Amino acid sequence: MELSEKLVRGEGRFVDDIQMPGMLYLGFARSQYARAKILKISGAHLTHKEVNFEVVEVGEGATEGGPTALSHPVLANGYVGYVGQPVAAVYSDDRYTAEDLIDSVEIEYEPLKAIVDPEESLKREAMYPGVRSNAIVDRYFGKEFTPDPSDIVIERRLVNRRIATNPIEPRGIVAAYDGNKLTVWVSTQSAHSIKEGLSEALKMEPDRIRVVQVDTGGAFGLKGGLFPEYVVACYLAMKERRPVKWIETRREHLLASRPGRGVVANLKLYAKRDGTITGLKGDVIVDNGAFTGGSGEFSPMFIARQLAGAYYLPNAHVRALSVLTNKAPQGPYRGAGRPEAMYFIERLVDGLADELKMDPVELRLINAAKETYTSPLGMQVEKSRAFLESAIKELDYEKYKEKENVGFAFLILYHATAGGESARIKVEDGRLKVWTGGNAHGQRHDIFIKTLLKEELGVSEDLVDALKGDTDQLQDGVGAWGSRSSMVLSSAVIVAARKIKEQIEKKHGKYTLKALLDGNWDEYEFFKYDKTESSLGANLVTADVDGYGRVRVKECLSYYDAGRVLDPDNARGQNAGGAVQGIGQTLSEELAFDEDGLPLITSISDAGVLSADLVPKFGIKFHKSESPLPSKAKGIGEAPTIGVPIALSRAIEKATGKLIVETPIKPEYLLPAGKD
Amino acid sequence: MVSKKNISITVNGEAKEAEVEPRMLLAHFLRDVVGLTGTHIGCDTTNCGACTVIMDGKAVKSCTILAVQANGRKILTIEGLSKGREKLHPVQQSFVDKHGLQCGYCTSGMILTSYWLLKNRKNVTEEEIRAAISGNLCRCTGYDNIVESIKDASKKMEEEGDPIEEHPEIKVRA
Repeated sequence: MELSEKLVRGEGRFVDDIQMPGMLYLGFARSQYARAKILKISGAHLTHKEVNFEVVEVGEGATEGGPTALSHPVLANGYVGYVGQPVAAVYSDDRYTAEDLIDSVEIEYEPLKAIVDPEESLKREAMYPGVRSNAIVDRYFGKEFTPDPSDIVIERRLVNRRIATNPIEPRGIVAAYDGNKLTVWVSTQSAHSIKEGLSEALKMEPDRIRVVQVDTGGAFGLKGGLFPEYVVACYLAMKERRPVKWIETRREHLLASRPGRGVVANLKLYAKRDGTITGLKGDVIVDNGAFTGGSGEFSPMFIARQLAGAYYLPNAHVRALSVLTNKAPQGPYRGAGRPEAMYFIERLVDGLADELKMDPVELRLINAAKETYTSPLGMQVEKSRAFLESAIKELDYEKYKEKENVGFAFLILYHATAGGESARIKVEDGRLKVWTGGNAHGQRHDIFIKTLLKEELGVSEDLVDALKGDTDQLQDGVGAWGSRSSMVLSSAVIVAARKIKEQIEKKHGKYTLKALLDGNWDEYEFFKYDKTESSLGANLVTADVDGYGRVRVKECLSYYDAGRVLDPDNARGQNAGGAVQGIGQTLSEELAFDEDGLPLITSISDAGVLSADLVPKFGIKFHKSESPLPSKAKGIGEAPTIGVPIALSRAIEKATGKLIVETPIKPEYLLPAGKD
Repeated sequence: MVSKKNISITVNGEAKEAEVEPRMLLAHFLRDVVGLTGTHIGCDTTNCGACTVIMDGKAVKSCTILAVQANGRKILTIEGLSKGREKLHPVQQSFVDKHGLQCGYCTSGMILTSYWLLKNRKNVTEEEIRAAISGNLCRCTGYDNIVESIKDASKKMEEEGDPIEEHPEIKVRA
């Protein structure tokens, strides 16, 4: 049955749908303190004494290498670093009893003073003995330069606060062990990352681990990685020789998953009076959280390197920091560093336009890169002026430019194409089975896989089964993130199909569909690709703000370079879905903490996820400049989470006259003078 | 422990009897006891709507209703919409046709809320649709394709009628 039809019948198979005889339900007693020593634990089934592994980084933005002093312990090792950190595990053959057992675990703590604010953390004593500073990353990009004294300087402190990824299906795993092989069913973006991580954490040979992806109910960056809870579930399955299930609650998700954003930038943009940008200086500070294992070691560098935006930036010197705080580790969230970088440079450019009393889009045109070049911060910036000219036309900016409530964003999206991707096509009994290394979690790769196979091999869609990830069926793979799958995953499928075609041509003299379907063919392709590709985009947003500081987004339009659009319905869905997340980040989404590091947000509504009545209908037009990859496509999945917050922040700034430097923008900040 | 209770709930037209703990949620009764896993759980706090089912003609969130509260009542789950038929229910078909789902996790609840809306309202406007599904969160689609699916389903139900007959308690479209 086709996937859509299965899902609308309620016949999808998500991880919590799996039932097995003798299954154990796993639960975690979690820290109630942001920072404390653990003095005593009683009433638990598993503690660090027995389960003393460390979680190594896997997934998007993972840095290579084994555990370090800052690695996340699977269960707390005498110390807790954030509220929600797993301290001890309990289990039962019944879900409800497992919940009861969590409450019966007693943990004695000696609370310590929490470090909540990343900038304050830089001034505080080191969080851990043996660690010199709370800055776990401190690197410079670009080169020191002396600005012209006659240059204008725009100086801002810009903040994107932490937000939860909030897929509607929380995290979850089922693990089973037969005495030799560990099999894991998991909600994931990358079955191979999970396998690699489990192998390292449990010190098991990779071929004794099989990871199977089940239907995955959204992920948005979160589910590329391995989590402490998954390691404990596997350990327990092996210890008890019984299947083990762990399903995250929403509250656990908000406390202890891997939230994204959480970045502060202190930047100075230099420009001549005619609007030409001459340089950029300052720092970017990522709120890493208490341990590594997320993306905090990668994101400050990635953000700093992109700070030229889509502009010609002749000089730059930026310090990139990642700082320990008493929060859950920062992780990738849709865009993962891209939205932050573009937000920072675009807010500065809007500020410059105001200073010069110039139209902000005209200013962008002046600074758009006329030729492709490598910015002093290290990223290749593709020539962007011609694209911007067509964006102005396609988004009908002239019609909007005099409006009091319009915002415009110009962005470059760097695709995580480097690393390539894998695919396997197996033909038997007249059907095609396809496995791919990147595991879809709401992007519906199955649809374009079928389109491409129809083109390459002439096979009709109903003869193709696009299957979920399974490490026993596919020897290697990377993952679905970084707007990469329409580029490298699709190309792996195309190349594998072409290889089968060649074999048929060799054997039968020419390719026929009959020869394909009558034969047995099996082709694995790891499509290698070393380059980071990019594409350009623009957004236009209008918004009204009422007397209570409430924002209503009126229009939200996108113009993105998607190369060849493999599946227009899906591309529109990606745009609208990302745009709602972009509006959410700008208006309502935040994981807030008090001064003791206690989380203030404990439900998905408090976390600011927006419903249908609070967002407009979205519009998208495609620019189609083909990529050099076999699929000719360019990913756009992260473009709306990059562009929408920029354009909406500007629209609100124009509508209210208040300088916007932080997301989310709180209604109380937007109250007209005299009303607050 | 509080003693277990015997309950009988009519699920998709069939009586389901079981002895359950009084604290058992309706969502867990449907998923773990009856084995109908199309009802999903997303938030535990009645916010996300993934667990929406129809109880005695009303769309309700089964993660904050106890199974014992549903004793003697009639429940329609996503599985019941096309039960015993080869063809999908018009609402399900519209979600397929108009790309109203991506990951599919919120879909069961979204479809049942839409079904309840369309049983109660003819000629729904976009605003009414958005208000009606405001208790169902979707993180993938941005809602546009869901709204289009519901508009399409409204037309389909107008033309084809509702193939489900066992729910006369849901009032006819006015």
